[in-house]
Amino acid sequence: MGSLIDTLQFVYAPQIINGLSIGVAVVLMALGLTIIFGLLDVINMAHGEFYALGAYVGVTLLAMGVNFWLALVLVPLIMAPLGYLTERLFIQRVFHQRDRHMLTLLLTFGLAIVLEDVYKLVFGPQPYSVEMPISGGSEIMGVFFPNYRLFMMAIGTLIIAAVWLVVYKTRLGAMVRAAAFDKNMASSLGVPVSVVYAATFAFGVALAGLAGILLAPIYSVFPTMGKDFILMAFSVVIVGGLGSIKGAVIAGLLLTQIQALSSLYISPSWSDPLVFGIMVAVLMLRPQGLFGRLGHG
Amino acid sequence: MSKAVPDAKVFYLGPDYEMGRSTVAAFKSAAEAKGAKTVGEVFAPLGNKDYSPFFGQIRAARPNVMYTSVAGNDTVRLFNQLAEYGLNRNLTLVGASGTVTSQNMDAMGKNAEGFTTGVGYSVDLDIPANKTFVKAFQAEYKALPDLYGADSYGVMYFYKAAVEKAKSTETAKVRAAMEGLEWSTPQGTKVMRAGDHQAMQDMYVTRVQNGKFTVLSKVAAKDALGPDTCTRF
Repeated sequence: MGSLIDTLQFVYAPQIINGLSIGVAVVLMALGLTIIFGLLDVINMAHGEFYALGAYVGVTLLAMGVNFWLALVLVPLIMAPLGYLTERLFIQRVFHQRDRHMLTLLLTFGLAIVLEDVYKLVFGPQPYSVEMPISGGSEIMGVFFPNYRLFMMAIGTLIIAAVWLVVYKTRLGAMVRAAAFDKNMASSLGVPVSVVYAATFAFGVALAGLAGILLAPIYSVFPTMGKDFILMAFSVVIVGGLGSIKGAVIAGLLLTQIQALSSLYISPSWSDPLVFGIMVAVLMLRPQGLFGRLGHG
Repeated sequence: MSKAVPDAKVFYLGPDYEMGRSTVAAFKSAAEAKGAKTVGEVFAPLGNKDYSPFFGQIRAARPNVMYTSVAGNDTVRLFNQLAEYGLNRNLTLVGASGTVTSQNMDAMGKNAEGFTTGVGYSVDLDIPANKTFVKAFQAEYKALPDLYGADSYGVMYFYKAAVEKAKSTETAKVRAAMEGLEWSTPQGTKVMRAGDHQAMQDMYVTRVQNGKFTVLSKVAAKDALGPDTCTRF
């Protein structure tokens, strides 16, 4: 019995908490992706590159002598107008055409390729490491855990809760949901649909950028960093249900727990294929995902 | 190592490619022959960013020694994350000679402290040629030389000795002169064994102490490198 408790405390608990800290980061990415899809019907293939851009903006700010905490606030504020412009200048241009699904997919895919090369040209191919803003670890109920990851979990949870509140409890959120449900009806009732679209895109991009700077001290910053993370975020969005906020949160935490616990028994390198396998199974058996789309449930 | 940690329970973490897998296999068979117990092994992709998912298996195995052959920035992340998660407590870190070098040591600070390896060079080797070499290297590069610096430096003298012996720079003659050639380097006297063309030199067990590698003991060349098993020459 004693050894069982010891195993739970020493082996399982840290692994579960570590999975949670990664899960919160994945959810931040998946939220932006799913909100943009839920409202605009756009699969943003460049989401990973906006995540990388957030990290690069952060690294630049840090190099200019801005401290990490201020950078954490500034990055989403810089990213939001960039997202707004991207929606206005690029997405809107092809949005009203008949095959807009294909066009927006290709457009954001192309944007992703261009951005990745721009990062390579401007910052070089080598990774930048960002110093841990909080060092050391804390022992909580016998589990030793790095302080920065605890902080990341706390701030991530706060942001997820704030997004939830805004979307479901405010007038602003009601306008977004109305536009997602029926944009013509919302528009005739006075919702400025095109502004809502661009602002929502900007919001999703700001979330991705925030995830980029938050994770920079752990993963470091390099041109292809978006690719590493976006596949996981896409899997989460597909399993949770494209366009569902609840789905992104639940699937994000669920899939990262599956990764964390399976990593005790199989090589952690295999935990990614495991998640993609689950994604394929969900697509075959329940293509709409676990939960319904924004504005529909 | 068998003396330092009497009942060693070793966990192996290597980078997932040929060098990583062969170094782990070689160390494992040598350690097991000395009575060390293997409690687990796992391989991480080259350039892995976050080692924390790998820590679950390390915790479950409860090792008191960890062998690793990751190198460069991977070592920096691995060692720093081990320390962040408090896993380096009661754990002796051993590894390949390229795992901790003068290039990445500063990035780990005290997290590399105690790391032990077997290597063909150390800055503090008490050899006159080494003292001159270290002084010249430091003056030129403002850094301490490591294995690669010393090896590359010493091999130039190998070529010089071969040319002098052959009295020619013709490839075939120089090559013939190299067989069985003995020459001196900052790492001590080296011999190219005629049988398999293996460069033989004494090896050293070194440990990171106060941010520098310190020699703990010396292993004679023939014990460190094993017999000539080559049948081609």
